[in-house]
Amino acid sequence: MDIRLMRPSDIPLVQHANLENLPENYQLKYYLYHALSWPQLSYVAVDVSRPKKTPYDQPKIVGYVLAKMEEEPTDGVPHGHITSLSVMRTHRRLGIAEKLMRQSQLAMVETFGAHYVSLHVRVSNKAAIHLYQNTLGFDREKTELKYYADGEDAYCMKLDLSSIREKLREELEEEKKEERKKKKA
Amino acid sequence: MPQVLSTREGNLFRTVIKHYEDKQYKRGLKAAEQILKKNPKHGDTMSMKALIMNAQGKTEEAFALAKEALTVDMKSHICWHVYGILYRTNKNYDEAIKAYKFALKLEPESLQIQRDLANLQVQVRDYDGYVQSRFVMLKARPQIRQNWTALAIAYHLEGNLEQAETTLTTYEKSITATPSKTDFENSEAILYKNSIIAERGDIERALEHLETAAKNSLDRLAVMELRATYLAQLGKNEEAVKAYRALLDRNPEHPDYYRGLLGALEIPKDDQTSLKAVYDEYAEQFPRCDAARRLPLDFLTGDAFRTAAKSYLSLMFDKGVPSTFANLKHLYSDLLKKDIMPVLAEEYLSERKSSAEVKDQSKADSSKGEGAALYFLAQHYNYHLSRDLTKAMDYVERALELDNSNVDFHMTKARIYKHQGDIRKASLAMDHARSLDTRDRYINSKAAKYQLRNDENEKALETMGLFTRADTVGGPFADLTDMQCIWFLTEDGEAWQRRGNPGLALKRYHTIFNIFDVWQEDQFDFHSFSLRKGQIRAYVDMIRWEDRVREHPFYFRAALNAVKLYLLMHDKPHASNGVNGADGQKGDAAEKKKAAKKAKKEAQKAEREAAEKASKQDPNKASSSKTKDNEDAKKKDDDPNGLKLAATSTPLEDAMKFLGPVLEFNPKNIDGQIVGFDVYIRRKKYLPALKCLKAALALDKDHSRVREQVQQFRSAIDPVLGSLPPQVQEIIKSEFTS
Amino acid sequence: TAAGDVEEEMQPKSAEDRKAAAALSKLDARGDDESAAPAVDNQLVKNAMDALGGGGAAKAEVKKVKVDAADVNLLVDQLELSKPKATELLKAHDGSAVTAMRAWLQPTFA
Repeated sequence: MDIRLMRPSDIPLVQHANLENLPENYQLKYYLYHALSWPQLSYVAVDVSRPKKTPYDQPKIVGYVLAKMEEEPTDGVPHGHITSLSVMRTHRRLGIAEKLMRQSQLAMVETFGAHYVSLHVRVSNKAAIHLYQNTLGFDREKTELKYYADGEDAYCMKLDLSSIREKLREELEEEKKEERKKKKA
Repeated sequence: MPQVLSTREGNLFRTVIKHYEDKQYKRGLKAAEQILKKNPKHGDTMSMKALIMNAQGKTEEAFALAKEALTVDMKSHICWHVYGILYRTNKNYDEAIKAYKFALKLEPESLQIQRDLANLQVQVRDYDGYVQSRFVMLKARPQIRQNWTALAIAYHLEGNLEQAETTLTTYEKSITATPSKTDFENSEAILYKNSIIAERGDIERALEHLETAAKNSLDRLAVMELRATYLAQLGKNEEAVKAYRALLDRNPEHPDYYRGLLGALEIPKDDQTSLKAVYDEYAEQFPRCDAARRLPLDFLTGDAFRTAAKSYLSLMFDKGVPSTFANLKHLYSDLLKKDIMPVLAEEYLSERKSSAEVKDQSKADSSKGEGAALYFLAQHYNYHLSRDLTKAMDYVERALELDNSNVDFHMTKARIYKHQGDIRKASLAMDHARSLDTRDRYINSKAAKYQLRNDENEKALETMGLFTRADTVGGPFADLTDMQCIWFLTEDGEAWQRRGNPGLALKRYHTIFNIFDVWQEDQFDFHSFSLRKGQIRAYVDMIRWEDRVREHPFYFRAALNAVKLYLLMHDKPHASNGVNGADGQKGDAAEKKKAAKKAKKEAQKAEREAAEKASKQDPNKASSSKTKDNEDAKKKDDDPNGLKLAATSTPLEDAMKFLGPVLEFNPKNIDGQIVGFDVYIRRKKYLPALKCLKAALALDKDHSRVREQVQQFRSAIDPVLGSLPPQVQEIIKSEFTS
Repeated sequence: TAAGDVEEEMQPKSAEDRKAAAALSKLDARGDDESAAPAVDNQLVKNAMDALGGGGAAKAEVKKVKVDAADVNLLVDQLELSKPKATELLKAHDGSAVTAMRAWLQPTFA
C-alpha cells in the first residue's frame, strides 16, 4: 500500500475504481479538471505489491480521494470540497480512507488556505456517514433535497480545519525563528 | 465583392456572435436569418450560421454552408476562421490549422485567431509552430505573465530547456512589486522554473534555487519532496536524513520516503537488523501505520522474517483486514517465504484455539480472528504460485461455516470455482455474494464480470443496470458507454466474440478505441485553462501522459482482441463472420458487397426496432421536442450492432487502426509483436513483418510462436525475394539470418 | 421564448451532474487576461522583450540533406510511413534509403 499524490497518468484507473465502487460516475475530463486545477489535493492508495506482468502494467488503485476547492464559495470563506472518495471493499480496515483524507486536508490548508472542507453523502449510505462522522469528525450541516440523479437526498457535511491551520501557523513561526537564528550566526 | 451591412444589421451581426458565445443557438439562428433575408450573400453571417449549426450537431450542413460562405467572400478572415473551427470541432486538426493560417494572413493582428492556432499547434505537438505563435502573442501583450509562462512551456516541450528558463527569468526581472505570499501564479511559476533547472541536470543550482526563491512556495509538499531528492542526489546525507524524516512524519505510508531515508542513512543493504530498526521506530510512532510493519517483510530472511511475518499476520488477522493476502502475495517469488506463510496462518489458528480467550462465537465478528486466517489460507491455496484448489475450497468452506453471509468469503469461493474451470458455478457463486450486499457496487461489478465470463451478456447488463443511472436515454448500456466504463465494454466484447458474434465484439473494441480518442481530445481545453489556473507542472505532466495514453493496458487488451478477430475474419471469412453465412465457399468481391448490403439493411432494421423499443420505454418520447432531435442527431449510431463492421471486405486493413498504436506504445509486449507479424505477413508487407519478428526475437527468442514465425517468414520470403526492390532485398538478406 | 432557449442544452438531472457540467463548460471560457496582470514596469518589459531575441530564430541551422523523391516513395511503400515521416527518416540518414530502412527495422528498445 502506497499513499501518494494523484498524477494525471493515474486517472484511468481512478476512474475505473470509481466505476467499480460507486454509483456516481464522471467522465475522464472531470478528473483531469481536478488534477489540473488543484493538483495538490487528490490522493490515491496504490497496491504496489502486485507483480508486473508487462512493462506497461499500471499500479492498481485501491482507493482515492478526488478533491477540489469550492470555486465560488457562497459564504465567502475559502474551503475545500470532496468530490469523490472510495476504497475498494477488499482493502478496508487499514484506515486508507482516513489517511487519504488527512493528506488532502493538509494540502487544502497549506496551498489554498482552506478553513473547512465539505462533502455530500447519500442519506441512506450508513457506512459512509459513519466514516465521515465518527472516524473523520465531520458534522452534519443540512439536507439537500433530491441531490442525486435517482432523486435521493444528500446530507451536506462539514469538517472544520482550524486545528490544521493552527499547526501550520506554528510551523511557519518556527521556521521564521530558525531563519533569524541562522542570520545572526 | 462582399456585401456590406447597414448599421442596424451590423449590430444584429454582433448579437449573432454574442448568442453563439452564450450557447443561445436558436436566438443566434434567428438573428442570422434576419440578416440573410436582406443580404443573402453575406459571407460572415453565413459562416456564423454554419458555426451555430455545427454546434447543434448538423455537421454536414454546416460544412456545406461554410464552404459556400468562402466562395462568396474569399478574403474574409471570419469565414476562414469559422472554417477552421468547424474542422477543429470535427477533429480534423491538420485542415483546421491550414484554415487558421489563412485567416491569420488576412488578419495578422487578431489575437483570437492566433490563440486558436496556438492551441491547435500544441494539441498536435507542433512545438516549432507553437513557439512561434507564443512569441507573437507575447509580443502583443508582454504585460501579462501568462504569456511569458506560455512561451517558456513552448520551449520546454520543444526540448529547449535553456530558453525555457531564460524566458521565465526574464519576466521575473521585470516585476517591480514583490508578489504577495498568496500569489498562486507566482508560487507555481517559481516551482516550475525549479523543475526545469533540475531537468537540465544542474541539481546543485536547483537546490540553491529551491532554498531561496521557492522557500515560501504554497506547495509545501512539493518543496519538501524536491529538497529531499536533491539533497540525496548531491550526497548531502545528513540533511537528506532530516528531510526524509520530515516527510515520513507527514505521510508514513509512502514507501519512497523510507527508501530515501535508508539510503541517506547509508545502512548497508545486508544489515537487516539496522534496516528493521528504522522501520520499527515509525511503527512505534504511528500505531496505525501499515507500511512500517509490512515493508521489512520484503528484505528480512530466515528467523527474522518468520518472527516479523508472524506478528504482522497476527495483527492483520486480529483486525480482520481483508487485503492481507493481496498485500503479501508479492513475497511469493521467494520460495521459502511462500512456504512459510500458510504454516504461520495455521499456527495462528491453533494458538487461538488453545488459548483460553476464545469468546462466545455468536457475538464475535466472523471476519476477524479465525475467519480472517481461514480466508487468508483459502486465498493462499487459490493463488497460482501456491495453488491447491481442494485445500482452497476446504478453507473457504470452513470460513463460511463461521459466517455464511460474509460477502468476501463467497467472493473467494467464486474465484476458486473459476480456477477449477467451472465458469457457470463461479458466476452463480459471485451472484450469490452480490445478493448478500445489494447496496455495494463493487460486488455488483464482480458479479456482472463473472456473468460475462460465462457468456451471459444480457444478464450481466441487467446486473449492471441495478447501479447505472435510471434516467440515461438508452438505458444501462448507454450510461456505461457515456461514463467510459472500459472494463465492461472489454469483457462484453470478449464474451460476444466467444459467442460467435464478431459484429458486437468489434463494436465494443471500436467503442473503446473511440474513448481513447476522446481522452486525447479532452486535453484541448486545458491548453488555455491551465495557463489561467497557473498550475503549470501538472499541465506538463498531463501533456507527457497524453503523449503515451495508448500505452495503457486498457487499450492494449481491446486492441489485441480486435486485431486477432480481424485476423480470424481474414483467415476464415465464413466461420468467424456471422453475416456471410457458412456456405463453405470463398467469398468473392460481389458476394462481399451483397453481404455488406444485407448488413446495412439489417442494421437499419435493428435500429428501427431499437427506436420502437425505446419509444415504448420512455413515455416522454412522444412529445419529442427539437432538443431531443438535436441530441439524437448528435448521438445517432447507424450501426449499433456492428453488422457493418463485421461485413468488412478488408479486415487486415481495418486491423491496422488498432495495431499501429499497439506497436508504437507497447513495443516490449511480445503478444503485440506476434500479432503485428501475423497482420503484416498476410499483407505481404515484408519489412514491417520483419521488424515485428526482430522485436519479438529480442524479447524472447525461445518463444514457440516466434520460432514458428521465423519459419513462416522464410517460406514466405523465399519465392518472392527476387521481385522486391533491390534495396529491400539487400536489407532482408543481411537482417534475416537464422 | 427564453424557456425554449434554456432547453437547447440538456439539463443534467442531479445537483452532482450540474456541478460537473458547469465546471467543464467553463473550461474554454476566455478569461479576462488583464485582471491577472501584476505591477510590471513597461520599460523593463520592453528591455526583457529585446533580451529575448527573435523567438525560434535563434535555433541551430538544420543540416541540409538532399532527399530523392523516389527514395521517399520507396519508404512510404515499404515501411508504410507517411510522406513527412519518410522524409524525416531519410534526412536523418543522409538520404540513404538502405541505411534509413535498416535503422527503422531495429527494435525501438535496447
